[in-house]
Amino acid sequence: MARVRLDTVRKVYPNGFEAVHGASFEVQDGEFVVFVGPSGCGKSTLLRMIAGLEEITSGTLHIGDRVVNDLAPKDRDVAMVFQNYALYPHLTVYDNMAFGLKIRKFPKAEIDERVREAARILGVEQVLDRKPKLLSGGQRQRVAVGRAIVRKPEVFLFDEPLSNLDAKLRVQMRTEISRLHSQLGATMIYVTHDQVEAMTMGDRIVVLKDGEVQQIDTPLHLYDHPANQFVAGFIGSPAMNFLSGRIDGSGDALSFVADETALSVPLGASDASLLRAHAGQAITLGIRPEDLYVAGPTAPNGSATSRWTLDVVEPMGNEIVLYVSSGPHTAVARVAPQPIPEPGTDTDIDLALDTSKLHFFDQETEAALTETPTADLA
Amino acid sequence: MLEGKTTTAGLKVQQRTAAQSKTREARQRTLFLWGLLGPTVLIVLAVVAYPFVYNVVLSLSNMNIYHIRDWEVIGLQQYASVLTEPAVWVVFFKTVVWTLVNIVFHVGLGVWLAVILNKAFIVGKPAWRVLLILPWALPQYITALTWRGMFNYEYGAINLIGGVFGMDSIAWLTSPFEAFVAVILTNIWLGFPFMMVVALGGLQSIPGELYEAADVDGASEWTKFWKITAPLLRPVMIPAITLGIVWTFNNINVVWLVSNGGEPNDQTHILVSYVYEAAFSMYRFGWAAALSMVIFGILFLFTQVFLKKTNATEAAY
Ligand SMILES: Nc1ncnc2c1ncn2[C@@H]1O[C@H](COP(=O)(O)OP(=O)(O)O)[C@@H](O)[C@H]1O
Ligand SMILES: [Mg+2]
Repeated sequence: MARVRLDTVRKVYPNGFEAVHGASFEVQDGEFVVFVGPSGCGKSTLLRMIAGLEEITSGTLHIGDRVVNDLAPKDRDVAMVFQNYALYPHLTVYDNMAFGLKIRKFPKAEIDERVREAARILGVEQVLDRKPKLLSGGQRQRVAVGRAIVRKPEVFLFDEPLSNLDAKLRVQMRTEISRLHSQLGATMIYVTHDQVEAMTMGDRIVVLKDGEVQQIDTPLHLYDHPANQFVAGFIGSPAMNFLSGRIDGSGDALSFVADETALSVPLGASDASLLRAHAGQAITLGIRPEDLYVAGPTAPNGSATSRWTLDVVEPMGNEIVLYVSSGPHTAVARVAPQPIPEPGTDTDIDLALDTSKLHFFDQETEAALTETPTADLA
Repeated sequence: MLEGKTTTAGLKVQQRTAAQSKTREARQRTLFLWGLLGPTVLIVLAVVAYPFVYNVVLSLSNMNIYHIRDWEVIGLQQYASVLTEPAVWVVFFKTVVWTLVNIVFHVGLGVWLAVILNKAFIVGKPAWRVLLILPWALPQYITALTWRGMFNYEYGAINLIGGVFGMDSIAWLTSPFEAFVAVILTNIWLGFPFMMVVALGGLQSIPGELYEAADVDGASEWTKFWKITAPLLRPVMIPAITLGIVWTFNNINVVWLVSNGGEPNDQTHILVSYVYEAAFSMYRFGWAAALSMVIFGILFLFTQVFLKKTNATEAAY
């Protein structure tokens, strides 16, 4: 097992495109770290540099105690699971899993033992002598994972391994990979564009955007304390609501006033003390859909009520999702099941915002204003 | 539908015309399809089926220079004569050697060049590709005659260039072994581009991720070639090799033109050039036709067995 440490690792592709701008962080021994971000943000590039499939333009990469910048993939003791599985189509499942061990000249008996062990863990014992084309998507996925675990590498790398599976299978494989991680206790780095996968699987999450690391933190801390508006909007589904406006008032009686509407949210004492310096500035308020309530007795204490137009109602059974608007602003609310009026252009609804759950972002830098970004990035 | 007794008279009439127009439509469609197929069928009958049947008949006849007009079917005598002729067996052996050596070099050179051309570090790929396809794109007889010129003892480029490096001149076209080598060299030159083009196509369809997976698994270039490239090229190469073997086995042009009709002393022959010589230099039409049928039989059997044994039609992915 090993740590993986990146020091200002950059990637500039031959065409001059800078896909990763100086990433620095450390993956602990035995940790499950997820790289998440929208398509094209450089997740695969970063992972492939760790694997040794892309050259590192500058910076240093440690695996264990070694600098591995100039080592070939095979000498880094990593195993990778590819998005399209990359199974050898002409080899049986058994031979696919045994491939890496045969190349490394393991004794036949040990190869056999490891392959059968992996097949047992992954539940593909029945198909060991089949070719990949006769397998279902889920089975191929397992074989691809099996090919990695027979090697018993220091570090496992996964590049969007579940994105070709249907939704149900994806959820199932998600838990299987998590279980595998706790069984093997190995260091795992997992790339995905799906924030649900990131939240459910990662010990820690590295959020990337345009080749830049946005924030590195545990899933829950990331959710509650996003470092900037991008992270706030990317993590969580439905996404956080954003309202642009400004801070108004004086002394302790500050409130957030949304642009072009009567929408006004009085600030609590702690928010007020942090935001006093920004009074009069253009600011974005963020609030998660579950922190909006239908005004009334069920709304939490200290919430601010405002009036919205009810556009769409989606009853989900366990909750109701409301799509509302007010002037130029739109918002989504997830509320408990209750009688809701028919939506329409002249249907108004009063929503309560939980003022203890507000997020504020600088409109220019998009950085979070109330949060102190977590310090322990290394 | 038509015998529905309960329907009103008017409805019946309507149904009848609908059914009639349907059958007319179907007939027109059949006619149209035959119209499309017709020309092809005629041409195939004229240039393949008729000559083949005619050849079968000839092979059973005594047609030769003494019986040009009054030939008659005499049974299997010509086949017996062909199979008991020692020279035929010698030529058959040479044909097998010719075919095998050519195919080994065609495939070896072709795949090797394709793999190199497919590497990322090669610059000017399109130009290289065009250059390497040229030997195949030029008319065969021009290339064959050019090579014949190059093999000339006194003035040929090969001996002249060899001389520069202090090598003795070789009597390429006047000694049996050297002449055989010369025709093979020429045909290797002519044949590798086809295999290269096929292999290039095959390489395009191998996903790059497989090589990356192999890199992570620790495979060397050599292992990657033999464990990934070679087996995955197989499905495209086997049909190409089958074609290549049939073409090479029957490639009279190169042998005939470079050796100038089997020189020296009819030592440079393969079966088809031997057939040609028998038919058009010695006018042993019946005998030549029988030998042709033997060649056909050999190639037919070979392709059936080869394609079956290699599972050529099984898809890889
Ligand atoms: N070989 C390459 N040459 C140039 N640009 C590339 C290359 N590979 C990827 N890119 C670019 O780098 C960026 C990051 O790519 P990638 O790491 O694959 O993104 P992700 O995996 O997050 O979707 C993208 O904008 C992509 O277009
Ligand atoms: Mg990717």
